[in-house]
Amino acid sequence: MSLKLIWQLSFRNILRHRRRNLMLFLAIAIAVTGVTGMNTLIRGMQYDMLDSAVENLTGHIKLHAPEYRDDPNINKGFPMADNFTPPVDAGEVMGWAARIRIPAVIMSERETRGIQIVGVDPNDEYISFLGDVPIEGEGLTDASDGRILIGKELADQLETKIGRRIVIVTQGIDGANREKGYRIVGTYDAEGTGLEKIYAFTGLANLQGLLDSDYVTEVSIRLKSEPQTPSMKDSLVRAFQDLAVLDWQELEPQAAAMFVFADGAIYIWFLLMMTTLIFGLVNTLITSVMERVRELGMVRALGMSKRMVLIQVVVESTLIMAIGVAFGLAGGYLFYLSIADGLDLSAWAEGMESVGMSSVMVPVLHWADFFLVAYLSLIFGVIASLYPAWRAVRIQPLEALRK
Amino acid sequence: MSDQVVVCEQLEKTYQQEIVPVHALRGVDFEVREGEFISLSGPSGSGKSTLLNVIGGLDRPDSGEVTLDGVALSTLSDSQLTELRLMKIGFVFQAYNLIPVLSAQENVEFILQLQGISSAERQERAESALEALGLAEMRHRQPGELSGGQQQRVAIARAIVTNPVLLLADEPTANLDSQTTEELLSLLQRLNKHQNMTIVTATHDPIVMGYTKRQVHLRDGVIEKDARAA
Repeated sequence: MSLKLIWQLSFRNILRHRRRNLMLFLAIAIAVTGVTGMNTLIRGMQYDMLDSAVENLTGHIKLHAPEYRDDPNINKGFPMADNFTPPVDAGEVMGWAARIRIPAVIMSERETRGIQIVGVDPNDEYISFLGDVPIEGEGLTDASDGRILIGKELADQLETKIGRRIVIVTQGIDGANREKGYRIVGTYDAEGTGLEKIYAFTGLANLQGLLDSDYVTEVSIRLKSEPQTPSMKDSLVRAFQDLAVLDWQELEPQAAAMFVFADGAIYIWFLLMMTTLIFGLVNTLITSVMERVRELGMVRALGMSKRMVLIQVVVESTLIMAIGVAFGLAGGYLFYLSIADGLDLSAWAEGMESVGMSSVMVPVLHWADFFLVAYLSLIFGVIASLYPAWRAVRIQPLEALRK
Repeated sequence: MSDQVVVCEQLEKTYQQEIVPVHALRGVDFEVREGEFISLSGPSGSGKSTLLNVIGGLDRPDSGEVTLDGVALSTLSDSQLTELRLMKIGFVFQAYNLIPVLSAQENVEFILQLQGISSAERQERAESALEALGLAEMRHRQPGELSGGQQQRVAIARAIVTNPVLLLADEPTANLDSQTTEELLSLLQRLNKHQNMTIVTATHDPIVMGYTKRQVHLRDGVIEKDARAA
């Protein structure tokens, strides 16, 4: 069997109906451009949501006392060794931060709100949103800082401002209420994520002093890349058998579900596009086969085997798909380049932020997605050709020659 | 070893035309010897095309046996029959039936490609066949750029390039004018005479019969007359 012959016939048959096949190439190319372009946006949304979730004081992995999540209280904290370092490969870790995070009541002269008071070492908080959030006024300086940093929206709710004093009431290690006045050192603007209304930050050592405890309630670890999470988590589970070691998917199940959904969306989007295209491709191939009944009957009469006729139709279909997909992938890449700096969606900022996304959507190019589209498209090309090929194989030479 | 290329024994073939059975062949006994140039003639429905198709392995008889070059066709599967057509028979059809997307030379090479002949040999044999038929200058033209007579000559080149045991031609001149018909028949005659090619052609045309060495006339599915030229 001559492969060259198959290629020659398939290629020439495609050229035979230039206009018809050009329309088909265009349809495939536009669909693939749409799919790959949309994939970069979906990936962008996916990683934006992941970053938001991870930066939301969560990190990729967090250590807690086992009962802390049911009752977030300083009693459910744990002591930290002075020279504590997470026992994982330092090359994989972006950073880590120990914190106290407990419920509290914040009171201004006019309003009272329920919040979470968070004791931090600001020098370690480059792993969370606190590291790059815009701050009006000043930020905290170190773990012993006795001032408080609150969200801009919380300041509005409390009808207070920078420089004024507020009072924090929370529960100490002995279960008794502790109360302390803090001066507002600054307000942070977390783009209306809701974090502004929840978290108020002060120095970790200062808060430990208020609570009369040297405990922390969490250690948050941020990794350099998300896929390292499972192996790092395993190492930490082995090292801290008395603590709960939770990854971001367990801590932020909604974000995790959205992450999985985005993966699924890529496939669903692709399948919808390809299913639509397949009808066009099958239709074109059947038309092509039916137009060539006599010719196919003649080549069968001359001695071309059924297998070769079948391969010819399959190759023809795959070739059409491959050409369309090649242009489509190029189009998808150009689309990605054209929006690589991000799409400004600030007009819909509130809606975007409510699902944990920022108002600028930056596409993310995964070459694996490109290859997947190329690979699956070719498979779809083969699938689309099966019925037309079967029709071609069933052509009886004698009947075809009589037509 | 006999010089019989084809032996047909008691061939029966009935087609169902709507509800009416049409007996295309009724117990036909027929043989073709090496180097013969035979015309099968007869009115429409006489069975000449059916006989040609059965000999060529394009159709199977209801009963009886066809032996081609010593091979009983009834013993072959469809794919074996396809292989036999490829290796042993050259076909020339009434409507030329060239592949429109291939040039004249590629059409001739096509059959050699199916046979798995190497590229260099294919090219050499195709060029030689086209040259022998006076088509050397036109080998790069596509069928649409050739006249009917030229297309039929390309079809003959395609049929003979494999050196088949038997050349079957189904009304090869039906679409040609009389001058082109004469040219083509002279060509077939030369092939028969100089290359000892065995040729069987179905025809209505008395001119064609005049060129053949043996004229077999069929009527109602039986051989009515089998005459050899003097």
